[in-house]
This record gives sequence, C-alpha cells and structure tokens, in this order.
Amino acid sequence: MDEFQLSEETVETTIGSSAYQQNRINQWTSSVVETSLNQLSKLGKPFKYIVTCIILQKNGAGLHTASSCFWDNTMDRSCTVRWENKTTYCIVCVFGLAV
Amino acid sequence: MTTQQPPLSQEILAQCNQQAMEPWGSRKLRQSRQGSISTLRSSLSRDQQQQQHPRYPLLLPRGFLPIESSSRSPNISNPNSPFIRRDLVALTKRFSFGGWLQGSRASFSGLPLHQPVQLENTYKTEPEKGCLFKASKVQKLVQAMLDSYLDGASYNAASGSHLSQILSDMVKSKVKEISPPRYKLVCQVVVGQNRNQGLRVASRCLWDSQHDDFAVAMFQNHSLFTLVIVHGVYCE
Repeated sequence: MDEFQLSEETVETTIGSSAYQQNRINQWTSSVVETSLNQLSKLGKPFKYIVTCIILQKNGAGLHTASSCFWDNTMDRSCTVRWENKTTYCIVCVFGLAV
Repeated sequence: MTTQQPPLSQEILAQCNQQAMEPWGSRKLRQSRQGSISTLRSSLSRDQQQQQHPRYPLLLPRGFLPIESSSRSPNISNPNSPFIRRDLVALTKRFSFGGWLQGSRASFSGLPLHQPVQLENTYKTEPEKGCLFKASKVQKLVQAMLDSYLDGASYNAASGSHLSQILSDMVKSKVKEISPPRYKLVCQVVVGQNRNQGLRVASRCLWDSQHDDFAVAMFQNHSLFTLVIVHGVYCE
C-alpha cells in the first residue's frame, strides 16, 4: 500500500493537470521514475525495486500491458498505478523483489 | 555492671498514646484489615488458577478427532458441562490415526496440511563466475520470438489483452530456459495500437548493477507495436 500511494502521489505532483506535450514527455517520465525510486528507497525495506512508467497521449488508441514473473511468491510483490487526466494516460508498475 | 535501656522516643510515645485513646474494636479491625490484604490476594490468584487449569484429564466424546494434538481445550475438559456424556473416553496422551503425521499440523478432516518449504542458507552473495544474466543473448532471443510470432499480425481490441498475456508467458518461459540459476525474472509486455500517438516508456531499477541486468526488444508494423522488457535479478 505504501508503494502504491507513493507512486500515485509522484505522478500527481509531476504531471498534475498539465496537457500532453511532446517536448516535455521525456522529462515527465524520467522525473516520475526517479522520484518514485527515491521515495521507495527511503522506505528502507530489504527489496530490489523495478519501476516502469508509460506515458501515453489520449487519442483513442488502445494499449495493453502484461507482466509475467519468475520469483518467490511469498516474498515478492508488484503494484500498478493507473492515472489519467484529460489528455494523458500514465501507468506506473512497481516490482519489489526481496533480497 | 547494669545496662540501662535508652528512653522511648517522642514518636513512639505519641503512637502509644493514640492507640490507648482509640476504642478497642477499631484497633483490632485495623490490625486485622492490614493482615487480610495479603491473604485476599493469594486466595484470588489461586482461584483463578483453578479456573484456568482444572485438574481433569482431556475428555473427548467418541467420534471426535483432536484438531491439534498438542493443545488442550478447556471447554471440553469442564466436567460440569451438560453436553459431556458419561461414556467419554479419557485421553492422557496423543492418539495416532492412519494417515496422521506425528508432530505435524492437520486440518479438521484429519488430512495433513502442506508445510511451507524452508530452504537452507547457501551463504552465496554473488553468482558463480560465468553465470551472469546475459542481456545481449536474451535480447536476440526475444527479438527473434517477436519477429516470428507477430509477423503479419494486426491490432485487435478484443484480443489485445490476451495477446499481451500470451507473449509475456511465452517470453518468460523461453528466457527461463537460458537464464542462469538463482536469477529472478520480470517480463513486461506492452502491446498498443499504432495510431501515431505519442508514447514514452521509462524504467529505473534499484538493484545490484554488477549482477542484475535487463534486455529490451521491440516490434512494430502499420497496425500495432509491441515492447518487451526482461529484467534479470540475482537472488541471494
């Protein structure tokens, strides 16, 4: 739950209500991913983290994401945050692998 | 040589005068009350012990199986309960039924529950020499898979999710065959419709950069695009 809330807040503060801009999308994705990772590392839990961010312009195109993992089911977890505003979709996937 | 006792202090004299002035009944009550506090505490504690640990053996009605062989249910052992019949079987030690495992957990039906596997510590913090996750090899393999599987495919909204799941499972199983031991794999697949929209995918990892790596493969045609990311993480 902590990771989920962290990612959600990160996306909200980074993109907010801004409209999709081609020249700013690189900065947004990098910022979302780096900020999420920094916040996750501050949690201090014994996990290796993989954070993936997809930012997509809304124009009616379809998108599907799937993940398949070979890991320890008892210790490792993942969470996905879906966020959108009027012009942009943002999907953040966080995988936590126990050390 | 005679010894003289020291005279009584003023405080002691005052106490004696006070006691002499009080009626006789109250003094005795005060003394008895002081003495009764300690005995009351001990009697209460003893009663509590008797209620919690009655001195009766474990009694079970016929046909009932004990759920856990190491526990004693206080409800069953209460002899004053109206539900205990007179022909109870008294048990003083564990039963052993057919199909039971001694010292293991069992469900109410008597079948043994699956115990979680505990692995021994191997004390290995690094992979063996030559057993690193080879990103270039994985990338070539995944790229070949995408090219062969998606050649001539077109995007379909109804089957897009199914396609992404199949691809992710397929990639994971293929990479698992060539990945070195003690490596965890995370395969992500993104399948999207190609409509000239803007898209950006970024990924960052907090891991051991010397032993962990990732591989990326992409395929696109006029109708769809597919992105596959495979992360290999060493498991200590």
